[in-house]
Amino acid sequence: MAQSPPSPPPSWDLEADVVCVGSGLGSITAALAAHDRGSKVVILEKSPKLGGLCAYGGGEVFCPNGPHMQDIGQADNDDDAGAYFRFLGAGFNDEPLTRKLLATYREAIEYTEKEAGVQWEAVEGLDDYYYPDAPGSGTGRYLAVQVFDGATLGEWQQKTWAISPHFPPAATHKEMYAWGGLANVTKWDYELLGQRIASDQRTFGPGMMGWFVKASVVDRGIEAHVETPVTALVSDDEGRVVGVRAQKDGRDFFVKAARGVILGIGGYDHNEKMATMYEETHEWHSAAQPYLHGDHLVMGGEIGAEIASVPPTNLAMFYGYNIPGEEHDGVPLYRSSWECGCPHAIWVNGQGERFCDESFYKDYGPRLREWNGRTQSQDNLDVFLILDGNYRERYPLGSFMPGMEIPEELAQKADTPRELAEKLGIPADAFEKTLERFNAHAEKGEDPDFGAGHFSWSNRLAGDPSYPNPNVGVVNKAPFYGVKLVPVGVGINSHGLRTNTDGQVLHVRGPAIPGLYAVGMSAAILDLGGGYQSGTSNMRAITWGYITGRHVSGD
Amino acid sequence: MAEVEYTTSARLPVEVIWDFVREIDNWAAMLTGYQSHEKESEDGSLWVLKGDVGAMTRTLKFRVHVSEWAGPERVVFQLEGLNEQMSGDGIFFMAPFEDEESAPALAPRRYNLFQNIGLVITRFFFRLFRGEPTRARTVDAGPGKGMARLTFRLTMNPGGPMGPMISAMIKPAMVVAAEDLANRIIGHLEQEHGSAQR
Repeated sequence: MAQSPPSPPPSWDLEADVVCVGSGLGSITAALAAHDRGSKVVILEKSPKLGGLCAYGGGEVFCPNGPHMQDIGQADNDDDAGAYFRFLGAGFNDEPLTRKLLATYREAIEYTEKEAGVQWEAVEGLDDYYYPDAPGSGTGRYLAVQVFDGATLGEWQQKTWAISPHFPPAATHKEMYAWGGLANVTKWDYELLGQRIASDQRTFGPGMMGWFVKASVVDRGIEAHVETPVTALVSDDEGRVVGVRAQKDGRDFFVKAARGVILGIGGYDHNEKMATMYEETHEWHSAAQPYLHGDHLVMGGEIGAEIASVPPTNLAMFYGYNIPGEEHDGVPLYRSSWECGCPHAIWVNGQGERFCDESFYKDYGPRLREWNGRTQSQDNLDVFLILDGNYRERYPLGSFMPGMEIPEELAQKADTPRELAEKLGIPADAFEKTLERFNAHAEKGEDPDFGAGHFSWSNRLAGDPSYPNPNVGVVNKAPFYGVKLVPVGVGINSHGLRTNTDGQVLHVRGPAIPGLYAVGMSAAILDLGGGYQSGTSNMRAITWGYITGRHVSGD
Repeated sequence: MAEVEYTTSARLPVEVIWDFVREIDNWAAMLTGYQSHEKESEDGSLWVLKGDVGAMTRTLKFRVHVSEWAGPERVVFQLEGLNEQMSGDGIFFMAPFEDEESAPALAPRRYNLFQNIGLVITRFFFRLFRGEPTRARTVDAGPGKGMARLTFRLTMNPGGPMGPMISAMIKPAMVVAAEDLANRIIGHLEQEHGSAQR
């Protein structure tokens, strides 16, 4: 039998003004803003470390017309920024939320810099996904943090993520591009990176969250508890959320929130039922830490919160793989496949045919979900990464550098395309035709079928700049390799709680639920209309964290 | 290259340690992250271990060849990575010590003050995070009759261009692995020989 949400206990284990559930960017920004407005804040985190999903990410914050663009000689304006956001949202955005987001994001980011001491810098030369095609698109609009010293976290140093398995440890964005990008990864300065790792110098998502954890838990002394999952919201007789029930050391742990509870839990990547149902695919794996179970939807749903959605096709989802034996936090680690941003690599589906621009995930995400009404199936779920000898002489496959043997459990290897097709179980004739057509155009650096290499973002991030088309190269040299790919999420989900312009969670009947807020992935991405681009998730997390932290404290 | 070393002592004759260490089957399973091992010959074996590399855990397969059975003083072996570009060496040093002067012939590597502090902190937090005891079970008991010291030194050389970075990433796990192996061997022998009480 279903349990009812708990009522306030006779006595609380801990009392605060504001309880922030989760410790990602949205939750910690909310904690900072609430603390600085006089609230006593407590952060409750389910996992053994602070930082949330953001600590696994690239740590980019999209900030058009932002405070550091002039440092790299870039001009921008709010009209262009607004036009670009609306292009991304493609009409699925909630306009009042979009207006509030656009009116506040710069102020919020400047707050994190001026008041919280987060050291941002502009990422030079990284373009918007749709630059220059889209209205209002631009370049140099991303922020990333300067190198963070993990030792400044004191007792929290080992209770935060120092390294993400998905991004180059201890390298900065600036260095990554100066060293030739991901395609040139064999030639990076690993002496420098080794020295930085040895002294716990952090960059990318771990670096960004290092700054935020330091500002909140270390500098301000905000109380935080790890391994303390929140299991229910506690409401009073009037329906106001007045606290939470958590689990700590194997028992119930009730925490009072006199002013409100802010849910910043992340998504549901590791809840198979929610992920496959809401993200419209039969199979779902995740690159995120294994703590994202959709708790916000369960706890919000229990007290009548409205669940809202944006089209999953416009978000971030990748194809990827697990290297056998590779794990994180006790579960298989799935990597998103960046290999197809490099030349000499393509993807084919179960019919042995290409179906997308492999270098641009915004193109292949929707195609993954493409429904074949004649066969009642998603034909592009069964996908293989194809590499050739040219590729293996130059680029890594996951952690397998050029020259290293790739284990059979990960990749099939063959001397001819036909033999590879037979090993992969795909039609050999069709596969040979696919390669023949692709190579005929790739010789000239072209891809008229799917336009690989069109987007400068893909060129810069994953392509090889030494090629005429950084994302395209022939696939014609033995040996040939085939890797089975699966859908891999990165914690960016289509469903979340509906919120208003103050970040308050709305009841299914319309009004705000008193005392309950949602930020980050806990709040449906209606402000963007689901129009995802790198850095927009972090940008909205900071912005709504700032808004809710102030609002719950009386602003 | 990443190198770590750990020394512990026991109220045991050195021959007891040697008798135990000379048989790989006795202690292979005491390695941190041990999954399996298979003896190919007196000197050769295949090991499968799970090891932490930065934020992830990898399954590592090694061919191990013992190049020196110099009992009761020393066992030297080489590790060759079968699924990773990684090679290494492991050495057990054993020596009786009835007084300070008769300390092991091959003295344990000395770390300077800052290195020692760094290692202690690393060990503490690594164990804390993994939910393991934050103090080693055994401590240096000092010289005396029937005492022996066991030192385990582990050196790993990740290959390829990323070698220097991988070295930095695996070192915290190696510190714990070296300490745990030496302590588990001594703990096991003391239990077996009834000398666990200090």
